[in-house]
Amino acid sequence: MHTENCITLQDVTIGYHGNPVLRDVNFSIRKGAFTVLVGPNGSGKTTLFKTILRLIPPVCGSVIYGTGAHPRLGYVPQRMFLDEIYPFTAGEVVSMGTFGQIKPFCSISKTSRLLVEQCLKDVGLLEQKRQLFSQLSGGQKQRILIARALATEPDILLLDEPITGVDIFAQKIIMELISQLHKKHNLTVLMVTHEIHSLPHWINELLWIHDNKLNLGNMAEMLSMFTGLKT
Amino acid sequence: MEQLIEILSPHFLLKNTLYASLLVGLVCPQVGIFFMLRRMVLLGIALPQVSNAGIAFAFLLHSIGWHFLPHMESEKTMALAGSIVFTLITIFTLSVLERKGKGFTENRIGFTYALAGAASILFVSWNPFGQSEVLSLLKGEILSVPDAYLWSMVAIYGVIFVVLIGFHRNFILVSYDVDMATTIGKRVILWDVLLYLIIGVVISFGVMTVGALVIFGFLLIPAIAARMVTRGIFLFCIVSSVIGVVAAFLGFYVSYRFDLPTGPTDVALLCIILSLLFLGKILIKTKKNSIIGN
Repeated sequence: MHTENCITLQDVTIGYHGNPVLRDVNFSIRKGAFTVLVGPNGSGKTTLFKTILRLIPPVCGSVIYGTGAHPRLGYVPQRMFLDEIYPFTAGEVVSMGTFGQIKPFCSISKTSRLLVEQCLKDVGLLEQKRQLFSQLSGGQKQRILIARALATEPDILLLDEPITGVDIFAQKIIMELISQLHKKHNLTVLMVTHEIHSLPHWINELLWIHDNKLNLGNMAEMLSMFTGLKT
Repeated sequence: MEQLIEILSPHFLLKNTLYASLLVGLVCPQVGIFFMLRRMVLLGIALPQVSNAGIAFAFLLHSIGWHFLPHMESEKTMALAGSIVFTLITIFTLSVLERKGKGFTENRIGFTYALAGAASILFVSWNPFGQSEVLSLLKGEILSVPDAYLWSMVAIYGVIFVVLIGFHRNFILVSYDVDMATTIGKRVILWDVLLYLIIGVVISFGVMTVGALVIFGFLLIPAIAARMVTRGIFLFCIVSSVIGVVAAFLGFYVSYRFDLPTGPTDVALLCIILSLLFLGKILIKTKKNSIIGN
């Protein structure tokens, strides 16, 4: 195992309740890499993503994080799965990222408050801090969820379909934001998407699920192999 | 005014009833916000009914000479135990089925409500003694709260209130985003179990004190009203309890002043507060729109 690897999957079979969805998954994600996981609906990309996030256990095989210690995972869910009945302000949503560090019966520390403000600044939404999360646009909500993930001070940023369901301008803003954060914080990024056309050309690695097999390669190789497109 | 001074006097005859009402008004909305936010409002109707069934079942056992514990003489203690056991079994069974995604939530809760309602009536009708006494307990005995019962209520509701405030962030996070909670290391099952336990105890104790209707009212109406007029979860929680306490106090005063039953008066006042806030919100919105239009 290379120590610069952030996540390594060894002989992993993923699935639910012992029923395999994808077998013999072997790959590593380097520290600081920007990796995109693509594949058609039902191919198992969400299951693989959730396995990496430790939300579901692998059917067999092992998922190894860096040097063995559990890293901090900055998770960005699909915004449509979050219920809008909760009357959160944008600031309150971002502050959830600090909940892992705050002890019960204690208020949010000044450091955490500053961190929340910094994360809001990073995504360009500090002015919307007191607005209701449910009243923001789709693209703004997505950026708030990215800020929430940043507030966990993550080693790895994991994004589930961050540009799905938003207009093309918002897609561009979100992709630029993720790219900036990746460069600025030297973050390891793993992103799930099926919007291949919105991906920037410089992406290091593409994980492509095709015919129940996982293929790893650079953007140009993968695109020409599976779509015949050239970058 | 005279009645108001009388109510506030420490020597007031029904002071225990007033304190019990205020406690219910303070604590129940804090539990109710989770019913609303987790979209379990129907469960808020079904669980008090299940609690009723537990009380009626315990009374039935007591009257035929079967006690949970040897030498247990207090039928009220036994009724409380019955209420808690029935409520907790139901809430855990429903939550397991919910997590496993078996069938539809509404169907399960509807079935529970119907079964509990029928069982309550059957248990009461099979009871050879004191049907009227059981029925009065099922309606809630808000006018006669003995000292011992009030103190145990203060202890239990007090602990629950402190736990809900102290672990507020964990309860909110596991309710809102289970995946996020898991990735930052929260034990989702532990917090879910603790929340269900709190819900079970609050409902069981509340139904014994003020009755199923009042508990349902205080669980849900303050939360619904606060949701309409607040921005931010922190304010939402505070305003819910403020509405609960104000309604409990005003309800008690009005019922004492005009010789009305306290429980239904409380619920009616909660509904009036909710309606007024709703109308106020519409008025403000209309005014804002007309200003923008001009």
